[in-house]
Amino acid sequence: MFLHYIDLSWRSFKRTPLVSLLMVLAIAIGIGVTMTSLSIHHMMSKDPIPQKSAVLHHLQLQTMDEGQSYFSKDDLPFQVTYQDAMNIQNANLPYLRSAMYKSGFSVHLNSPEQKPFVEEVRLSSRDIFAMFDLKFIYGGTWTQQQQDDIAPVAVISKSINDKLFKGENSIGKSFYLDDIRVQVVGVIEDWITPVKYYDTNNGSFDDPEKIFIPLSLGITNEVHTWGNTNGWKNEQDDTFKDLLVSENLWLQFWVQLNNEQEKQEFGQYIMSYMKQQQSLGRFNREELDYNLFNVTEFMDYRGVVKHDNKIMVTLSFMFLAVCIANILSLLLAKFLRRAPEIGVRRALGASKRQVFYQHLVEVSLLGLFGGVLGIVFAQIGLWGVRVSHGAYDALANMDVTMLMAAPVIAITACIVAGLYPAWVVCRTTPAIYLKSQ
Amino acid sequence: MLTMNNINKIYQTDMVQTHALRDFNLQVDEGEFIAVTGPSGSGKTTFLNIAGMLEPFTAGQYILDGVDVGGLNDNQRADLRNQKIGFIFQGFNLIPDLNLFENIEVPLRYRGIKAAERKRRVEQRLEQVGLASRAKHLPQQLSGGQQQRVAIARALAGEPRFLLADEPTGNLDSLMARQVMELLEQINREGATIVMVTHDPELARRAPRNIQVVDGQLADFTLYQGNPAKVVGV
Repeated sequence: MFLHYIDLSWRSFKRTPLVSLLMVLAIAIGIGVTMTSLSIHHMMSKDPIPQKSAVLHHLQLQTMDEGQSYFSKDDLPFQVTYQDAMNIQNANLPYLRSAMYKSGFSVHLNSPEQKPFVEEVRLSSRDIFAMFDLKFIYGGTWTQQQQDDIAPVAVISKSINDKLFKGENSIGKSFYLDDIRVQVVGVIEDWITPVKYYDTNNGSFDDPEKIFIPLSLGITNEVHTWGNTNGWKNEQDDTFKDLLVSENLWLQFWVQLNNEQEKQEFGQYIMSYMKQQQSLGRFNREELDYNLFNVTEFMDYRGVVKHDNKIMVTLSFMFLAVCIANILSLLLAKFLRRAPEIGVRRALGASKRQVFYQHLVEVSLLGLFGGVLGIVFAQIGLWGVRVSHGAYDALANMDVTMLMAAPVIAITACIVAGLYPAWVVCRTTPAIYLKSQ
Repeated sequence: MLTMNNINKIYQTDMVQTHALRDFNLQVDEGEFIAVTGPSGSGKTTFLNIAGMLEPFTAGQYILDGVDVGGLNDNQRADLRNQKIGFIFQGFNLIPDLNLFENIEVPLRYRGIKAAERKRRVEQRLEQVGLASRAKHLPQQLSGGQQQRVAIARALAGEPRFLLADEPTGNLDSLMARQVMELLEQINREGATIVMVTHDPELARRAPRNIQVVDGQLADFTLYQGNPAKVVGV
C-alpha cells in the first residue's frame, strides 16, 4: 500500500504542478536557510578528533596569587607560564605531552627564484604528532635528541612541501624561517580540523599551522608568540629572558591520558607540583586549583560555539516554521479540493486511517523533494559563507550527517505541516461529496 | 441481509433540527432487487448513505449481514463496507487520474488483495461490462454510459453481496439507461442484492420490489412482480 500511496502522491503532484512546485520551493528555501546555519553550528560543535577527544587533555593551572582574577568563568587562566610548561614537559612522566605556542616567520629558500611568504608556525614537543594523530607522508617527527640539542629541524605539511619542494620527498632539504635555516625531517598530511581546538586563544576556527619546529628551538632563538600573552603580576618583562621567568601566561599545554587512572595520577602529580612551587614562592593561594579538560569539555568550557551562532540557528528554524505555515495553508487548500475523491475512496472501503496515511505519504514525498532541493540551496548558502568569510572555509560545509539530516528535517517539517490538512480531509463525510460530484 | 429497526437520522444545525429519517424500518432479504422511490428531499439518499455506512444514524438499529453496524468503529465500518457493499452513483464518481483498470482496482487495494488476483478480477469485470479493450483509458475518454458501466464493474470487483445504486441512470440517455438497467438485472440474477434509488418510474417498475420514502418514512410500497414485499412497521 505504501508504494501505491507514493504512486498516488506523484499523480497528485502532476495534477497540480504549480502548487506542488510552490510547496517544494517553500520547504527547500526553509531547509536551505536552516541547513546553512545548522551545518555551520554542527561543524563548530562537532567533536574534531573523535578517536582521541576523550584522552587528550588541556591543562590549566591556577597560578595567580590570592585575590587576582581572570576573565574565565572559573577564574583559571587559559594558558600556562613558560616555567610551568617546561617543568611539566621535562618531568619524568610516562605521558605524551606538549607545551606549545604559535608564532610566525617569513618562509623562504634563500633563493631569488622563490618568493618568500609569511606563515604561522607551531612550536611544540615532538609528541604533538602522535597525540593529535597527524599522519606522516615522508619521514617522521624530530628525535628527542634533536629536541634536547635544539637542532634546527622542522616538520612541514603537504601544502608547504608542495609550495617549497614541488611535492617531492623533501626529507633532508632545508628552508628558512626568517634567518633560521631548518632541515625537513618529516612531511605530514595537512592538518584539517574544523575547530582549532588545541589553541582557541586567537580564533577557534583559524586554520591549523603547517610548519612545526621544536619549542626548544624557538626559545633559543627568542621567537615570540603570535598568540595572546596574559600577565597578572607587576614584574619585569622587557626581554625575552624576562618573559621566560615571568608569570606571564602564553603557552598551551596538552597531555594524553589514556584512562581515568592516568588522569588521577597526573592530577596528583600536578597538585604536588603546585605545592612544590608554593615552597618556591609561587602559587600564593590557599586553595590550589587546576583544570584538566578533555577536548569536548574544553570546547564547551571555552564556548567555542558562540551564543550568537545558537541564536542564528534558532532564527533559521523560526524561518522554517514560517515556511511550514505557508505549506500548511497550501496543503489544506489542495487536500480539501480533493475531498470528493476522498469521499469515493471512503465509499469504496478506505478507512479514515488509510486516507490519513495516504496524505502523510504525499507530504513526506513533498518533504523529500524539498529536502533534496534544500541541500542544493544550502550548498549555495554555504558557498556564500565561504566566499564572504575566509575563516569559515572548513566550517561552512555539510558533512554526511547534515546531508542525511536535511531530508529528514524536511520530511518531518512537511509531516508537521500536513498533519492538520490530512486530519481534516480524512474526517470529511463522504456522503456530502458523492451526491455532489 | 439488511435490517433497519426504528432508524432515525436528525441533521442538527444551530437553529434547526431536520428529521431526514423517522422511525425507518426495513428488511431486505438476500437476492432482492429493490427500487426506492420518493420525492426530492424525502430521505432516499440519506437512507442509502446510512445503508452504505457513509454516515451515521442518530438512533435505531441497523444490522447488515448479521453485524450490528451501530457498534462498529470507523475501521470496522470501512472493512465491512469494503467487503459487503458495492456503490453505484449517479455521477459515476470515477477517479479522474486513474485509468479504468486502476479505478476498478481501488476497492481491491483497500482489501489488501494481491496484485495478480486484483488483475484477474479487474479483467473479469471489465470483460463483463464490455470494456476490456478500454482498460487503459481515462474516465473522461469514455461516454457517460461507459463510465457508469465502469462504475458498476468497480462496484462488482470486490464481489459484494449488496449493491447500493443511487440514481444509476440519472445522467444517462434512455438507451444507455436501459443498457445499465439490464446489466443490474443480470447482476441481480447472478445473486447480488440490489437497492436502487431512482426517480424514474419506468426503471422502478422493472425492480421486483418497490418501496417509497416520504418525509423520512416508508410511506407505501408497490409490488410490481415476483417477490413479496417485506416492509416492516409502515
